[in-house]
Order: sequence, then C-alpha cells, then structure tokens
Amino acid sequence: MSNLDFLFEDETITTKTEKTENGFKVIVGDEVYHFVSKGENLFKLSINGQSHLAAAVYNDGKYYVDIDSVLLEFNEPSSDGFAGGGAGQAGEKDKIFAPMPGKIVKLQVAVGDEVNIKQQMVVVEAMKMENQVISKAKGKVKAINFAEGDQVDTDSPIIELELDEE
Amino acid sequence: MSDKLFNKILVANRSEIAVRVINACKSLGILSVAVYSDADKNSRHVFLADETVHIGPPAPRESYLDIEKIIKAAKDTNAEAIHPGYGFLAENPVLAKRCSEEGIVFIGPTPEAINLLGNKVESRIKMADAGVPLIPGMKKSESDINVYKKAANEAGYPVMVKAAAGGGGKGMRVVHSSDELEDAVSAAKREALNAFNDDTVYLEKFIVNPRHIEFQVLADSHGNTIHLFERECSIQRRHQKIIEETPSVALTDELRMKMGADAVKVAETAGYVNAGTVEFLLDQSGSYYFLEMNTRIQVEHPITEMVTGVDLVAEQIRIAAGKTIAHLKNLSQRGHAIECRIYAEDGENNFMPSTGKILFYTEPSGPGIRVDSGVMKNNQITIDYDPILAKLIVHANDRDSAIKKMIQALHEYKILGLRTSKKFMTDVLEHPEFNKGNTYTDFIEKHMTERTVDFEKYKSIGAAVSSLVSTAKPVLSDGTATGIPSPWELLGNIQIGDSIHE
Repeated sequence: MSNLDFLFEDETITTKTEKTENGFKVIVGDEVYHFVSKGENLFKLSINGQSHLAAAVYNDGKYYVDIDSVLLEFNEPSSDGFAGGGAGQAGEKDKIFAPMPGKIVKLQVAVGDEVNIKQQMVVVEAMKMENQVISKAKGKVKAINFAEGDQVDTDSPIIELELDEE
Repeated sequence: MSDKLFNKILVANRSEIAVRVINACKSLGILSVAVYSDADKNSRHVFLADETVHIGPPAPRESYLDIEKIIKAAKDTNAEAIHPGYGFLAENPVLAKRCSEEGIVFIGPTPEAINLLGNKVESRIKMADAGVPLIPGMKKSESDINVYKKAANEAGYPVMVKAAAGGGGKGMRVVHSSDELEDAVSAAKREALNAFNDDTVYLEKFIVNPRHIEFQVLADSHGNTIHLFERECSIQRRHQKIIEETPSVALTDELRMKMGADAVKVAETAGYVNAGTVEFLLDQSGSYYFLEMNTRIQVEHPITEMVTGVDLVAEQIRIAAGKTIAHLKNLSQRGHAIECRIYAEDGENNFMPSTGKILFYTEPSGPGIRVDSGVMKNNQITIDYDPILAKLIVHANDRDSAIKKMIQALHEYKILGLRTSKKFMTDVLEHPEFNKGNTYTDFIEKHMTERTVDFEKYKSIGAAVSSLVSTAKPVLSDGTATGIPSPWELLGNIQIGDSIHE
C-alpha cells in the first residue's frame, strides 16, 4: 500500500495504491478504481463494469491525464513533502520516514554523517519496487533506528537528524 | 511509367495538409519537397518529404506566406508543380500568377477564377445571372446608407451585413431591426477594413437556423465538371467548422441532385478547373442559397473521399497535369463519414489557444478510422500557426454507427501536454439533438453554451491514474539511482514502473 498526494487546482487529493491479483486498486476518498492493465502511459480501468482507456504522462512537476477525453492536470505536492513519509510527518524535517510500509534495502548514511538537503538516505522496498528516500533538511545524523533488512511502517522514524541552525 | 504526371512537387504548406499532399505524391510515384520555417524543423511533414527547404523564421509572413521564397524553393529543387494546400497561399492569385510566369504548374484554379470567386460581391452577381439561387439582398456594396435600409426592408429582418472580402466571421453583423442598421454597417466596415484592408460590405437576408451544406466539385481542363455530393458542416463555432459529415440527413435524393447540378453550374460559370467547394445555406423549408465557392482543397475533404472512394488530392494533381476526370462518372455515396478537427484549443476554457510540447501521442486505429495528423510526439505547438493538430475521420455503414465509432476514436486519440477540444466534440456527438440529425448552424450556441464537465467526478479518477504513472527511473538495489536522479525521484515517491511483475 502506498499513499501519494496530487494537487488539482488548490485541492490535495490523496491516493492509496495496492497491487491486486490482476492489476492495481487505487482508492481515492470513497472511490475504488480497478486498473486491469497498464502500459507505460496507457491504462485501462474498469468503472461499473465498463472499461475506459486513460493516458497519463509526467513532465516537470506536472501530470497530464486524459480519461474519456476529459483532460486534467495535476501538480506534484509542494517541495515540503519530500523525504517521503506519511502525511502526518510531512512537517518533521528532522525525521526520515518510510514512504510506505516495506523493507529497508540499503542505509546510505551512518550516525555522525553530515547530510545535505536532498541527500540520499535510505532505500525502502515495497510492492517489489525500491524507493529512494532523501533528506529534506541539512544536518547531522543523530540516530538510525533500523538496520538493513528490517521491516518498517510509516509511523516510526528510520533516521533522526540534528538540524543545522538556519 | 510513361504517363508520369510530374517528377517532383513542392508542397507550400505545413502540418496535416502538407502531410496529406506528400502522401498523395507518394501514391502517384512523385517526389515531394517540403518547405519549413524555424518552428517546423522537426514537424511531421518535414520527416515525410523527399526533400526539404528551409524558408525562414516562424512568422508566416516571412516564410509560408512569402511567395518569392516559395517560388525560389521550387526552382532550386526543380519542382515542376506547387501544391498550396489550404490556408496560407492557397487562395492567393499572386502565387498562381507567379507560378505561370515561372513555368511552374500551380495545382489549383487559374488566377482569374481565384480572383472572381474571392470577390464575394462580384461572384454573386455572376452566379445570380447564371440562375443559381442567392439569398435575397443587395447585389453589391453601396455608399448610401439608405440603399442598405431599402434592401433590408425588402429582404425582411433579420439581415446580415457582410464584408465583400470576408471570411472567418470577420466583418459580419446580424441586424434585427432598422434602428440597429446604421451602426452595424459602420462597425462591419471598420472590421472589414482592419481585417482585409477593404471596407466593402453588403447586406442580405439572415436565414434563421440554416444548415451549412457544401458540394465538392472537380473540373478538368477538358470541359468536364462533376460534383462529388455534399458535406454538411453545420456544427460551427463562430463560423469555424468543427465537425463535418456526409451524407447530410437533410437532403433527399432529389434535392441532392438539384443542389449538385447548381454546384456544377457555379464552377462552370466561373470557368473553374481543379478541386473546389460550393457552399450553400439550406433553410428549414428546403430552399437553398449559394454562399460562395472556395477555390482550394478543404480541411474536411476526407469525408468525401471516405464515401466516394476518390482520392481528391491525387485528382487535383492529375487535373493539374492535364488529365481528364472522365473516369469519375457514376459515383455514389457509400455509408456515412464524420470528421472531427483536433485543435490546440481549450474546450473547457472558451477555446483559448493552447501551446506546449506534445509529451505523449497515440492514434486510434481500426476499420474505417483515418487520422490525418500534422504532429508527432515531442513537437512543440506554438501560437505561430493555425491550431489544427490532426483530423479524425471515421466511416461506417450508417450515421449511428459512425457517431459511435467517432466517440470511441476520440477517446483513443491521446495527445498529452496541451489542451484540446476533444471532450467538447464527444459531448456534441453524444447530444440527443445531434443524434436526431437536428444539426443547424446555431447548434453550439443553442446546445453547448451551458455545458459543463464534471471535474468532481474526473479529478479522483485522474489522480488514481496519475498514481500509476512512472515519474523517474527505478533505484538500483545498491542504492544508486540509474543516472541523474530527477527531482521527483528525490522525493522518495513510489515508483510503479515497468518492473512490477510477479
């Protein structure tokens, strides 16, 4: 399960994506969408038993979507959201969270390391995909709470930083 | 091949019509030369032509409208003929004249015919004399406002004030009563002066809720003139056609033959040679009126090709090479064809021009589906030119099937990175009045003005689709990104890419 935020005009829309037996399930609010097949930019989804061909592409911070000839544009969440982590932790720049529950594949820093903004911190594997998690602040690694191979959820910080003075 | 028409043709145009002409050349074994501006270096027509000539900066005046550059390009490449497409120089008698001076064949009518038919006032007089029905009104422009008043009273209000050199709705005014007339005439004159550098305006009866019916004609230099039936182009937005179809549900066989015969009469009266289109208005009572004759291949020509099986552009080339059209006797209309024009215009925002790079592009396919496209992925769409990106054309046994096929084709035609009017068109095609065949020129104003798109419903589907889009390269298990990480990759976003396989 992974959560992602998209901005449509001024509204944030959160999606929950799950892999299913024959494709993907995406939950948006009360709606559940079943995707039966996907290519790189083309997707077939089923709504009330009817199939719809959708196309989407990402470019320069924006998603462009065509569904039933309706054209929509979404912006990626503001830069504050980086370093992954669940929505609840978005403000905590001194803690690095997993973007979704998964397994720590690689720790890229050690306690005492000086880290920069956007530095690669940890790789978390979920849904057979590896996800690079980066730092959203400059500082020094204060603590590492997990080891490679550990399972993590989205609520416990993997890495804690001592932030540099602004 | 002993009867080779031409060795090489220069295509003095861009986008989908240039592609269309190049393809016709290929089918006839003729080499093609594309011309292109700085903005079109990577455009589709440039990729397809056998030779290419750069003709200057993006501004049309310095490239596609520069007659001497076009002539020079033709001479430099030894092209024997020039096809002007539509728009740009297609109805410019100077290009036709310059071609004949330089010994280049202009694939189109004579400069005299272009001149005559380009002048709406003169051509009306000539056609009225030949017995072609005209909308009641003034035969020519006058300086005295009282002549306009008298003519308006005779024709009956509402009346329309039109620019003699007009087109595209400029210099046109509908007047509902005599006290609005004087202001409307002066406004139309100002507009016409600005748009065409000619303030000649005339007045005629305004036909309420007509259909726009036009006839395709072909005429060779051996005295044969034929028509290839009608196209109905009533679905217009501000006098610009957006959806066309053939046959028209409004024509009986008898009316079709009568209008077709008059279309042929118009072409013959003008001494016309090559492909042209005779436009009529058809009113609710079945009376029809000659509007004008367009002296070029039309944007909507493919629907005629679909139902008649005639390659109109190839015939234009054959006619220009002096061949006859005698083989085109006994034509018939088979099935029903519809065309939708895909413009880079935002159908959800008052058709504002949309610019940008085409980030993703895919076309529909299947029996009876044709795409005449001028664009490819990664093309940059700018405001320099007409916003047409492509035309979708479908052909089916009957109108209902053609409508369904077109809706599906529009859904499958995906072009991302720009706004288009695709959804607007599917809404027209799904409208009950369109399906009943109640297509009049006020259709969009009457049925589409209040239209809205349920973004509430689509935004969550759109976000769901976005969540599955690959945004960056996957991260390797040693923690290094493949190549330079994109900003999005650095965000720690989940990557649902191609690598998901059980």
